[in-house]
Parts: sequence; C-alpha cells; structure tokens
Amino acid sequence: MKPIDRELQDKWEAQLRKGCLELAILATMWKERRYGLEILRQLESDSDLVITEGTIYPLLSRLKSLGLMNSEWVESEGGHPRKYYSLTSEGRKRTREMAESWKRFSSGMGRLLRPLGDAEKGVAR
Amino acid sequence: MSDGAQKRVEEYLGRLRRRLRGMRGSEADEIVKELRAHILDKASMGGGMTLAAVDATLAALGSPEGLAAEYVTDELFARAEVSRSPLRVLRGVFHWASFSVAGFVVFLATVLGYSLGVIFALGACAKILNPHTAGLWMVKGADDYEFSLHLGFGSVAGPGRELLGWWIVPLGLLLGCGLLVLTTRFAVWCVRKYRTGRALRAGAR
Repeated sequence: MKPIDRELQDKWEAQLRKGCLELAILATMWKERRYGLEILRQLESDSDLVITEGTIYPLLSRLKSLGLMNSEWVESEGGHPRKYYSLTSEGRKRTREMAESWKRFSSGMGRLLRPLGDAEKGVAR
Repeated sequence: MSDGAQKRVEEYLGRLRRRLRGMRGSEADEIVKELRAHILDKASMGGGMTLAAVDATLAALGSPEGLAAEYVTDELFARAEVSRSPLRVLRGVFHWASFSVAGFVVFLATVLGYSLGVIFALGACAKILNPHTAGLWMVKGADDYEFSLHLGFGSVAGPGRELLGWWIVPLGLLLGCGLLVLTTRFAVWCVRKYRTGRALRAGAR
C-alpha cells in the first residue's frame, strides 16, 4: 500500500474507533466494577481500542459527571486504594441502547458488504 | 520503591496538583490519589518498582501539565454544558486556546459569534430607548451609500434613511439570541469532538 493510502486508511480507522469509544468503555463495566488500569487492559486485549494512558482518567471523570458511572475507593492488596467505576442505572440504560444501535448498524453493514466476500471467494476459486 | 523512584513520583504528582488549582480542592486531591494508584500499579507490573519502570509509566501518562489541562478543560466544559452559559463556554474555550491552535481558532470564532449576537441584541434594545436615531441606516458617504447599525447615541453621520423601523426589535433579538445559542452549541460541539479525538491513538494491532 502506498504511504498516502496507508495514511488515509489509518485516519478512517481512527474515526471508526472514535465513534465507539464511549460504548467500549461503558461495556467494560457491564459485568463488574473496574478501575482505570483494568479498563485500559481490557480494551487492549478485547478490542482494537488503544487509548493513551493519560487520557482515560479525564474520560472516566467526564462519563461520571454525565451520571453514567459511580465511583468508590477500595483498598487493594498492593496496600494502596484504587478508584473503581461501576455503571449507574442510567449508564446501563445508555450502554444497552448504544449496543442495540451498534448491532443494527453492524448487521446492516454486514449485509451491504456481503457481495465483497462473495467476490473474494470467487477470486480464490 | 527506591528513593529515586519515590522522588520522581512525588515530583510528577506535585506538578500535576499545582496545575489543578482551578478545580475544587477535594476533586484535585482525588485526581492525584487516582493517578498515584495508577503509577504504583503500572510500575509494579514488571516485577519491581524500579526507577526505569516509574519513568516509563510517567512517560506513558504524558506531561503533568498536559494531563492537568485535560482535567481542567473537562471541568470547565462540564460546567459549561450543564449551565449553557456563554461566559462559562467562553472561559472554557479560552482555556483550550491557551494550549492548542485548534482551540485558538475555535476561541476566535466563538468571540466573533458572541460579539455579533450581542451587537444585534443591543441594536434591538437601543431602538426601544432611542426610537428616532437607533436602527439600521443607509447613509450617503463620499462616493456611495453605506449601511450603518446605529445604536442611537449621537446623531447619524450624514444624510440617509432608516431601513427596518420597528422590525429591528424582533429581528435583532431573534438574530442576536440565535447567534448566542448557535455559537454556544458550536463551541461545545468542537470541544466534545476535540476531547474524544485526543483520547485515541492508532490501534496497536
């Protein structure tokens, strides 16, 4: 791929990720409360979302100020307290709504892109 | 943790705390506490809390000034979003302009939008106070006619006629208030976009 094509592709992918960042962060807390570093690790391991470390905390603070998350301090085995975040009922509602929108969008795109997969199979044959 | 590593952590957190001066004391303390926990957790992940591990952790967090600016900007804009007050929005964008070219451009556009909004609204109010002289005038200049929004203080420069009459009151208020609302929405939208955009870098995989 030419450098200019690579740059355009990177920009497009970055836009794609930006669009689902909020949903991804909220989703990490769906099952249980989590602290900042845990959220970063899960985003890295389960998705392509890699967030610069210094920006996750202001983001969490913003989602909390929007009423989507609560926080509490819990003593850790390491001897220092950690700030755990959990979804509020409003946060759970918003996460569910966003996830449904995401599924609808993703399934629509899947249908739209199906001919591309068929064409690739044809080329392979 | 070695003395050197401990000193490095305290220096970083001290610089961060100083830059959080604009925030409430309890909130700033909580931010420092959370960042301290992050540094301790992350630096100890490799096994030992060495100076190199602490330096790598602090480098990944970015400069304390930049980090504090994120919090302070977020705080200013969270307040602005809740209140929708032009003054608070302006304060937030002014802060953004202090560390970013994009912020500076948005600040200029916001100042322009608010200034025009205030001028239109003032034009409407001035008509009520000075009905004979305030208004949108078409005045004869040296070579050609020119438009002049006159607030009614002093006399109109040169011969001419007033164009809008009492219509300037509803039109001025509508345009003025509309510009204030649109400028506020524009500024808040820009900051939201900026904050989300900064959060991500290209994926590692």
